[in-house]
Amino acid sequence: MRRSCLKPYKRAALAVLALAIAFPAAAEAQQSSSVLMDAMTTELQRAFTSLGRQGAGKQEPDKLLPPYFLSYSVSDASMVAIRAQFGAVVDSSANHVRVVDVQVRLGNATLDNTHGKHRSSAVNSLQLPLGDDREALARSLWLATNTGYGNALDNYLRVKTEAEVRAKEEDTSPDFSHEAPQVYLGKPAPPVVVNRAAWEERVRALSRIFREFPDVYQNAVMLTAQNETDYYASSEGSRVVTPHLQARLVVMAATRADDGMDLFRDQTFEAETVDGLPTQEQMASAIRALGKSLEALRKAPVTEPFDGPAILSGRAAAVFFHEVLGHRLEGQRQRGDEEGQTFTKDLGKDVLPTFLSVADDPTQTTFGKTWLSGSYAYDDEGEKAQRVELIRDGVLKAFLMSRLPIASFAASNGHGRAETGRMPNGRQGNLIVTSTKSVPETELRQQLIEEAKKQGKAYGLYFEDISSGFAVTTRSSPQAFQVIPLVVWRVYVDGRPDELVRGVSIVGTPLAALKRIVVTGDQSEVFNGECGAESGTVPVSAVAPAMLVSEIETQRQPQGTARPPILPIPGAPTQKEAQ
Amino acid sequence: MNPIRPVALLAAAGFLLASLSTPLLKAAQPTRADAEKDPVLKAMLEELDRNMSQLQLKGFEKPFFIQYRIEDVDNYEIKAAFGASEGVQHAHMRLARITVRVGDYTADSSGGRSDGAIELAPLGDDPISLRSALWQATDRAYKSALATYAQKQAALKEVQTPPQADDFSHEKPVIALEEPLRLKLDEATWVERVAKASGIYRTDATVKATQSDVQYCSAEFHARMTTTWLVNSEGTIVRKPATEYEEVFGAGTQAADGMKIDRSYATVGVTLKDLDSPEIFEKQAATVIASLADLRTAPLVEEEYHGPVLFSSDASADTLRSLVAAGVTATRPKLGTEARTNGPFASSYHARVLPEFMDVVDDPGLKNYDGEGLVGAYDVDDEGVPAQAVKVITSGKLENYLIGREPVRDFPQSNGHGRAGFTGPPRPAIGVMKVTAQNGLSDDELNRKLEDMAKDRGLKSVYYVATMGPDLTPRLLYRVSPDGKRELVRGADLDDLDQRALRSSVEAAGKDLWVANYFGEVPQTVLAPALLLDDITIRRANEKNNKLPFYPPPE
Repeated sequence: MRRSCLKPYKRAALAVLALAIAFPAAAEAQQSSSVLMDAMTTELQRAFTSLGRQGAGKQEPDKLLPPYFLSYSVSDASMVAIRAQFGAVVDSSANHVRVVDVQVRLGNATLDNTHGKHRSSAVNSLQLPLGDDREALARSLWLATNTGYGNALDNYLRVKTEAEVRAKEEDTSPDFSHEAPQVYLGKPAPPVVVNRAAWEERVRALSRIFREFPDVYQNAVMLTAQNETDYYASSEGSRVVTPHLQARLVVMAATRADDGMDLFRDQTFEAETVDGLPTQEQMASAIRALGKSLEALRKAPVTEPFDGPAILSGRAAAVFFHEVLGHRLEGQRQRGDEEGQTFTKDLGKDVLPTFLSVADDPTQTTFGKTWLSGSYAYDDEGEKAQRVELIRDGVLKAFLMSRLPIASFAASNGHGRAETGRMPNGRQGNLIVTSTKSVPETELRQQLIEEAKKQGKAYGLYFEDISSGFAVTTRSSPQAFQVIPLVVWRVYVDGRPDELVRGVSIVGTPLAALKRIVVTGDQSEVFNGECGAESGTVPVSAVAPAMLVSEIETQRQPQGTARPPILPIPGAPTQKEAQ
Repeated sequence: MNPIRPVALLAAAGFLLASLSTPLLKAAQPTRADAEKDPVLKAMLEELDRNMSQLQLKGFEKPFFIQYRIEDVDNYEIKAAFGASEGVQHAHMRLARITVRVGDYTADSSGGRSDGAIELAPLGDDPISLRSALWQATDRAYKSALATYAQKQAALKEVQTPPQADDFSHEKPVIALEEPLRLKLDEATWVERVAKASGIYRTDATVKATQSDVQYCSAEFHARMTTTWLVNSEGTIVRKPATEYEEVFGAGTQAADGMKIDRSYATVGVTLKDLDSPEIFEKQAATVIASLADLRTAPLVEEEYHGPVLFSSDASADTLRSLVAAGVTATRPKLGTEARTNGPFASSYHARVLPEFMDVVDDPGLKNYDGEGLVGAYDVDDEGVPAQAVKVITSGKLENYLIGREPVRDFPQSNGHGRAGFTGPPRPAIGVMKVTAQNGLSDDELNRKLEDMAKDRGLKSVYYVATMGPDLTPRLLYRVSPDGKRELVRGADLDDLDQRALRSSVEAAGKDLWVANYFGEVPQTVLAPALLLDDITIRRANEKNNKLPFYPPPE
């Protein structure tokens, strides 16, 4: 049920076959904020003052239920997507879509139609006309609101019945927090501008690099550039217009070892617009490194069970903290019978070593020179983004809060996020891990060797790259909050060169490793990606330094038994056939 | 949200004959060398040859048959609602389906759920990337064929009754190369046309008085051009283009008692010229809106009725497609049984399934009828077998099934009806199904006959179905008094409208055929006469009536 992940791209390979890719209705477009916003506020006001009130639908007077809250959240997004594989473009498309999410709340903030499992039912979505036709916009908003109200009514009646028959809930917090209205009318995003022909050629050329690596059986290079403007209006008086621009180039490649083990690597490049992406040469050399790494992994020995010290690279530590810690600090996970509530009762307690602090800061747009894709000015409930200190000096201070209150926190801290069509939840934006006990990376490595010696091990492990469980477990069910090591090295104590191993998997809950962090490196790395959970896929970043962990237990991962391809890939050098 | 369905084309007689009747120019018998001038076919053939000669897992059988099919699909969907455009969706992609069979023609690996493999193919002509996509999928398809073959061999040992037919038919290789087409579309014009049509409820003087009752009103334009390349290890090489276009209008409301009322209208064709002009389409849209108002105030149908019902040729086309088209295809029966095929006509070979005065032919070679392009027409099917006109039902008796390359008892060969949706496996399906009646009657004669039946049986009224909605539900249904007066009613379901009714209850049929083009991945056409059925049940639908709008729409 619960899904989580930090993934570098939207898994859309076969969705593409549904012919759902769209094309731009030209560059008519996104400057039309004022008519749209006017239509939204006018229609919202009309709905709010008409629904469930006398005279409207001539209902029985005792059944009148006016909403106590109503919001319209419109996403107006234009996108260009280009995808290449095996050295050729397989898809190049563009679209411009406007969708409204209508949220209707009935009852009152203490108990409303969104209670418990009904939460997702409070959002009703409908595609909206693109232009400035006020009448068509108003009519569409009416249609979406009318349906949304009907759903809300149905769910509210069920919530009331359920509340009467069930035992008292553990967390008796209200269903909706009280917040001051926000007004911020930012500049709408311009239509996305991408030189399609030039980028098709660039994406194609990047994919073609894999021809240098004939054992990399599958590859995909995908560029997406999206300019989105979010319009938000609520019956509380909030009116927010914020732009969000994002360009992303994702490279994925896979191979299979002779024993059937699937091996996977990916790399992403992010910037606000395509012009901010790295140069072709920089991306080409990253792809070559990826190709080399996969060919090396294919031939690497399979790991042995291990219980000893390890280093997580900055990138690996960033993914690790996002998956293993960040998701568990989402507010809604502290409430509800089906949640693990790992940290619910830990406020004010040590959850990490004292030299570590963790904040989530969507207001920070760059780290060093790197753009952070999890940044935003207002969240999807119209709340202003805030830097939230989650853990200070190892002590748990806060959770990531949407407008769903929990026992320990009554208000949002600007982390209510959702993909279009979903109900916002507390989510991460830019998760930033900082350390007051850091050493240069060479020193970190030396400490790993000493720790291994102390524990009587022949080697320690270096996790260069890890991925979320979801992103790579395409063959089996998603592993919630798990991480899968992709590139792991043995660092020998006797001075032998480092040795790449494959098939490493972490035993038990990776949470245990967090308390065993001994010291960190002094350089932080950024992981930009997309994160999927109940409220959909949202862009996120995670930033962390490398970390030395005194003990981590690993085993050999379960592997597939399918053989590598029987014939060599077309165009491969013939030496393989000669073998 | 809006229930829009492909509906029959309006018979716009005399509408642009010239462009449709041009016969396809076919060069003298093309050769493999001709095919190899096409870079896509060349790459396909090269990879096919390499896999046929080299693909083998040590200790296992080689494939005896490999087929590659690539569909180049250029697809537009342009949508609008309430008078304004919602945008254009355009997708252009190539979808490859790879079939690998191991074993032999008698007993092979086919029939498993993992039959074949699919892969996105590159858009350009680059041979290595084209071949790489095919290579990757061929490898997967071969491995899964080996697994399925082993399972099938084991399953065969468990049953006493042997299979009733071979697994795969022998067919003569065909080389057929038609020139690909290019989809040319004036996107801006269509954006405007669709937007305008979707605003008819508020702009057309004849209907705008009722605009506040219209709950949704939308229009869509679809254009699709497909080029299919197909090669197989028997030497078949096919390149064939296909186009289809559709403009759909849909609108809905509720009656005062909450009953949902939906109407739609579609114009479908092989070329843009087949579609309605904007003026005609908008007029049809206005008619639909007007009918919503009529239906809102129409009385509810009586609680239950048994007796004669006249189906217009439009309503009959939907009915015959639903009840006959799927039944006359032959598919492999369950292993271990003596069945010939599946479905409602599984045991009806040589038996009567329609009245003796009716015939059904499926003729994919019929490209036009009454001046209209037929979307179900094709020359070669999706297994590379030339289409044949098949006399399916003769004088009421089922004499043939429509079949592809998977034989059933008494039908060892394909008759060119193996058809496939995008990336899907081929399955037998109709192309152009023409249903005719010997001594068919005119509409006037049918109406008179209906009225006579009412009088003869002393019925207060009988019924006439003008159009059907989804699931054989009548949308425009009229109560007809013995003197011929018609009254629109709402809220009806049809009961007993099944194969048995077609066999024994058809009293008479029309002489004019309705052209129903069905837009889709496997486009189909049904040509059907009006049908007068002797004994059909009409009931009140009693569906859940939702609340009326909780508040009025904006002014």
